[in-house]
Amino acid sequence: MSNIYRKRKYAVIFLIPALLFMTVYLYYPFFVNIVDSFQSIRTLGAGSNNWNDPWYSNYVELIHDEVVWTSLKNTGIMIIATLVGQVGIALLLALMVDNIHKGVQFFRTVYFFPIVISATALGLLFNLVFLYDKGMLNQLLEIFGKTFLTDWKDESHALATLMIPVVWQYVGFYFVIIETGLNNVPDELYESAKIDGATALQRIRYISVPMIHNVMVTCITLGVTGALKVFDLPWTMFPKGMPLDETFLTGTYMYYQTMEAKNVDYGSTLAVLIVVLGVILAQITKRVFKEREDI
Amino acid sequence: MKKRLAALVLATATACSLVGCGSTEATGSAATAAAADSTAAAAETATQETTTAATTEAAEAAEPVEITVTTTFAGEDGNAQNYKDAVAAWENETGNTVSDMSATSDETLKTRIVTDFETGSESDVLFFFNGADANDFVSAGKVVSIDDIRKTYPEYADNMNDDLISASPADNVKYAVPVNGYWEAMFVNTEVLDAAGVEMPTADTTWDEFLDDCQKIKDAGYTPIAAALGNIPHYWWEYCIFNQQTPENHLNIPASADDETGTQWCNGLADIKDLYEKGYFPENTLSATDDETFASFTDGKAAFLLDGSWKVGGIVSNCQSDPEDASTLDTAKLDNFDVTYFPGKGNRKTTDLVGGLSMGYYITKKAWDDPAKQAAAVSFVEYMTSDEMVAKFAQHTATALKDSPKVDESQFNSLQVKAMSMMSGVTSLTGAVQDLFNGDCRVSTFDGMPKIVTGKTDIAEAVQEGIDTYNAAQ
Repeated sequence: MSNIYRKRKYAVIFLIPALLFMTVYLYYPFFVNIVDSFQSIRTLGAGSNNWNDPWYSNYVELIHDEVVWTSLKNTGIMIIATLVGQVGIALLLALMVDNIHKGVQFFRTVYFFPIVISATALGLLFNLVFLYDKGMLNQLLEIFGKTFLTDWKDESHALATLMIPVVWQYVGFYFVIIETGLNNVPDELYESAKIDGATALQRIRYISVPMIHNVMVTCITLGVTGALKVFDLPWTMFPKGMPLDETFLTGTYMYYQTMEAKNVDYGSTLAVLIVVLGVILAQITKRVFKEREDI
Repeated sequence: MKKRLAALVLATATACSLVGCGSTEATGSAATAAAADSTAAAAETATQETTTAATTEAAEAAEPVEITVTTTFAGEDGNAQNYKDAVAAWENETGNTVSDMSATSDETLKTRIVTDFETGSESDVLFFFNGADANDFVSAGKVVSIDDIRKTYPEYADNMNDDLISASPADNVKYAVPVNGYWEAMFVNTEVLDAAGVEMPTADTTWDEFLDDCQKIKDAGYTPIAAALGNIPHYWWEYCIFNQQTPENHLNIPASADDETGTQWCNGLADIKDLYEKGYFPENTLSATDDETFASFTDGKAAFLLDGSWKVGGIVSNCQSDPEDASTLDTAKLDNFDVTYFPGKGNRKTTDLVGGLSMGYYITKKAWDDPAKQAAAVSFVEYMTSDEMVAKFAQHTATALKDSPKVDESQFNSLQVKAMSMMSGVTSLTGAVQDLFNGDCRVSTFDGMPKIVTGKTDIAEAVQEGIDTYNAAQ
């Protein structure tokens, strides 16, 4: 056997470029971002004027800013919607598709398709669906006898209108992951269970679900951290937290403060909040949904 | 041995690809330098010429280049098609190409442009506001003054009356070559007025009469005012504040929310809140986009639309079966639209208008310092600001031309004629104070407008927040 596999220095050599790339484009900017959050920066790229007085003032503002709490609440709802809507529906679809013999490839393609469409394009598409006057949904309801228009983007509907497309878009992503996990479950287990008289539901409950536990943990971790980062579709449909700042998520609020309100240092503070939240939630997810090594 | 060889080949390939990146860049630089030399020579030749055509010829003589251009001639802007045609004509004439990044004029575009400058990705040529919105990149020395350009191209913008070219408030130097002026006024869908039994507002219509009209329109089942307060509250912000003032003091910036000007601002915003509470704006005014409310106006569901002169073209396009083909205009439909003054209140006469020459073409320092692009950028601006082109873009608005070509009014459509008629009765034309009140100063009252009208934010607090931001930036 060649000793190229025994000498680790070769592996290190090939790892260095990626490490350098991550350092330059991720860790260094993140460090600078933390520093920026203590400084006064009005415009992007202009550099800081001076340190905030007191230097932690942005973090105090963070606590008192009502919109931050709104965006945290919305992000929390988005996480739940992700877990229930995206991962949950994906699990159901994958279990159903796993139990059919014909058309598996068809359903895989159909469910996965929204993923390949740009989120911005989807946002524009759903804008037309939920349009107040002549929108698809209002027109459909009109056909069924509704006599007045509903503003699907007003205060009482906005959050649901925002969540539905986001959930719909990513169902296919988790569906493919879970479906792949189900394919790896040995057929012998199902055959044995069938011989022992297990019903289809029992086979799912006692074989399928336990066997894809680790896959589900991965999906849940991806879902939770992904919900913290979702940006493009919500911003396309509800720019600037419209209406009345009710639809801000942590990501969209950070973008708004940085790019629109030109409050760059506060935007940096929000970015720090998002990273800290991401790390905490990822750890919680990891501990609550532990991976099993016996599968 | 084979695996070691494979590893060696892999490592070499990686190294080569890295070196390759560098060498490509080096070659690119050398090529650019070579092109720059030849283009510099061409540009130098151009400086010896004294006519606009000569500059165009110089741009033609040089290697064709691509320049990036950002303007606000996009979307519903009435000159969007004129701009497209003009760009195509310039490209044909010079062989150069334009990478166009134009977008509808709104706060997002303003932010994008300022950010582009700050991150070094600005366009070569820019059609943008000449007020405080440009302060950041003007102060940073990222655009070239007209005087500096004239040192190399003496004929640059010499068809303009310099006295009418606005200087930047940042340093009192002139940078932007204006094309067409603008006015802000109230468009009216007369079909809705007829259905509601309301007379067309005139030069004498007062604020109280306007409120009565709105109530009648609302009672008739129509939306009195087409406006997206959560998206574009700019025009209502401007005029409602103007209604508390006179042309003489409208451009004052308050020192605090409780001084005389600050109180006027607060009262102006209170008027918008009053209109909202009376239900004169669309039901979805806080969540709608400007395009949606504009559609409700053109579709005959709303009566009044406060907007700028650029909307004339938007309305006309809307009355064409093919928005890009003027011959498809439905003149009967267009006849249902009119334009009039915004009803006055207090000491502001109804015929006092907001308007002026607030935008112009900038050449960025980046393009100026690039020998390959300098002549092309100058040629482009000269082409777009030639007498013929300015007359085409300006139509019924003011220009800064020394000798305006005679406008053939017989070619005007009915809305343009009505606009000309309205302009003939104007008693004053005052700039927009929001052009002096920098971008982020307006956040609390522009983005904050939905919270102001719903009473979730105190008006005085919102105004004071904007003033504090303004003062901090001074």
